[in-house]
Amino acid sequence: MRPPAMLLALVASAALAQEQAPPGSAEQGYHAYMKFQCYTCHGTVGQGGERNAGPKLAPSPFPWAGFVMQVRAPRQDMPAYREQFLSSQDLADIYAYLLSIKPSPAAKSISLLNP
Amino acid sequence: MQNDGIDRRSFLKGAAAGAAALGSQLVATTASPQTAQSETDAKEPKVAGAKSIDRPGSDFMVNVIKATGIEYIAANPGSSFRSLHESIVNYGGNKNPEFLTCMHEESSVAMAHGYAKAAGKPMGVMAHGTVGLQHAAMAVYNAWCDRVPIMMFAGNFVDASMRRPGVEWYHCVQDPALLLRDFIKWDDQPASLQHFAESVMRAYKLATTPPMEPVLITADGGLQEHPIEDESKLSIPKLTLSVPPQGDAGALREAAQLLVAAEQPVIIADRAARTQEGVRRLVALAETLNAPVVCLGGRMNFPTTHYLCRSEDGRALVRGADVVLLLEVADPWGQFNAISDPQHEYRRLASPDVKIVHITLGDSVMKSNYQDMQRFCPVDLSINGDAEASLPALTEEVKRATTSDRRAALAARTEKLQAQHREMKDRTRALAANGWDAQPVSTARLSMELWNAVKGEQWCLAETANVTWSRRLWPATEHYNFLGHSGAAGVGYCAPAAVGAALANRDKGIVTVVIQPDGDLMYAPGILWTAAHHKIPILMLMHNNRAYHQEVMHLQKMAGLHDRRMDTARIGTTIEDPNIDFAGLARAQGVWAEGPITEPAAIGPALARALKIVQGGAPALIDVVSQGR
Repeated sequence: MRPPAMLLALVASAALAQEQAPPGSAEQGYHAYMKFQCYTCHGTVGQGGERNAGPKLAPSPFPWAGFVMQVRAPRQDMPAYREQFLSSQDLADIYAYLLSIKPSPAAKSISLLNP
Repeated sequence: MQNDGIDRRSFLKGAAAGAAALGSQLVATTASPQTAQSETDAKEPKVAGAKSIDRPGSDFMVNVIKATGIEYIAANPGSSFRSLHESIVNYGGNKNPEFLTCMHEESSVAMAHGYAKAAGKPMGVMAHGTVGLQHAAMAVYNAWCDRVPIMMFAGNFVDASMRRPGVEWYHCVQDPALLLRDFIKWDDQPASLQHFAESVMRAYKLATTPPMEPVLITADGGLQEHPIEDESKLSIPKLTLSVPPQGDAGALREAAQLLVAAEQPVIIADRAARTQEGVRRLVALAETLNAPVVCLGGRMNFPTTHYLCRSEDGRALVRGADVVLLLEVADPWGQFNAISDPQHEYRRLASPDVKIVHITLGDSVMKSNYQDMQRFCPVDLSINGDAEASLPALTEEVKRATTSDRRAALAARTEKLQAQHREMKDRTRALAANGWDAQPVSTARLSMELWNAVKGEQWCLAETANVTWSRRLWPATEHYNFLGHSGAAGVGYCAPAAVGAALANRDKGIVTVVIQPDGDLMYAPGILWTAAHHKIPILMLMHNNRAYHQEVMHLQKMAGLHDRRMDTARIGTTIEDPNIDFAGLARAQGVWAEGPITEPAAIGPALARALKIVQGGAPALIDVVSQGR
């Protein structure tokens, strides 16, 4: 069945938004992700943290514009990462890292999750 | 050698004759300060200079402790209760109670904490009156907040004239319980053996009457070590436990009417079920109302497999609720309100019109100093009663209030509730799958590998708050499956409490497991030795995130709030460089261990090997390097 038009538009705009992110290095981004301790709440592969630590970031992270906004002037309990401490390039690299993260196996395919 | 006309042989003969005379006249008397020393010696309790006391007061104390049914008494040995210690092991045969050697008083109390939740009855703890209780204090506070009974005995020499100079004075105090009085239910400092007997019985009764709490009896050193004057005059009173109080009948009727009329009722249970019967009663109420249940995890209140178990949907359910029934909820305000961190902004989570009913005994143990009472929560109906004891009457009132029309309306919810339960489980499994193969190992993977290892056993997970995947995904149906958490979040609880629970489960055929945080274990790792020495089978799977992880995140929040650099939160919060070898730490204390494991696929086989050790009656530890959260 063909997905609804609105969903197609959303996916398209998300893809476009991701494409609008500045160039970044996934490898540098991993080091920046660990250095600035994004992993403490979001996990080392952006899987999210339990006990409400932090939501899932990857795969398919937020559109770039929303990502920047959340990092620089976050909603809710996330601390703000100002540009003087986390440069725009570091942020672009982190985003590239998140984009590079492959999806985990589907829950239905994991025997330990389906006794 | 002669001295003053007395030669050595005559002196020794005279001394022997004097001791024999002394031994035949062992009677306790009170000396007058005016009496000459020699006369004082003749009348004083025959401790000073006595060659033997074959019936010390501590023997009677053991009789009293035995009469309570206490099976174990944990302690780090101390001189202020040395006589009681000796009476336990020799006179008492080191059985009922059996002395459990702990390396820290915090471990003794936390062991008793975990034991009580698994066994359904308290254990004993002995400690020095000053330094011992100081060490024990945090663990006692945890037990207080978690509503768990512990029978504590403190050694102390209140008679200053008996104290040896130096250390003994540092270890004595006028009022041993003062340090703990804000977070124990009752205490006493008996002045005689009969007083001791009556106070211990009273203490046990109070400790085990809901709301259950720790209690403290001082076993005075003089009472312990002095001979029993006349045993025929001593008696041990009968111990009769109190029946837990039920909520007022009229109030329960009113609550029932509110719940039956509600379109979106929600039940929130925290420490509601004290026993398996409590679980059964809550299922009966929930099914009669056809209302979802949110279990906050203070105890195992409700089967996770039941379609009405909706713990992960708690926030959404409260948001849409018109009536909420709280059952022994420690923090009622926090169910309906939130404060953001670190901005401290207030947010309401529930409808302003929601009707709240709370059945709890929490109000009756509330004290002022320590703020464990949480923020004041206005409710519509406050019922002072034990939740488990009140459930049958409440359920009957619900049935009475339910007309046939209303019964049909309640039943009509079932299909939707079942679908929502399935969606909740699917959503949780999808979240668990994220980072499934990551290194460090994801907490979801850690939890589910452990489940896979024990799913064929009768199992008990001794702590369920540090890693919540187990409560969210393991199919738990029995009260003994989950034992909740520390109560006051005092770190250092997990390991000793798990060992205590394992002790209680040892003879029941229940395999006790724990997901053990690294920082928690390092507070008093000697508990591993205690587990090995006393052959307590427990399977510890380390959640080794190499940090006090909560504090790492706190530092990040503060740096962000202060507009400062964000890459220094590891300072003062991480446990690395060097990395602790937990397997080595365990093996050094006689515990079978493997690790550190970094590859997720290696966890299952390691757990299988560990389980064999545990099934053989010994503790085992697997160190896994894991994600922070």
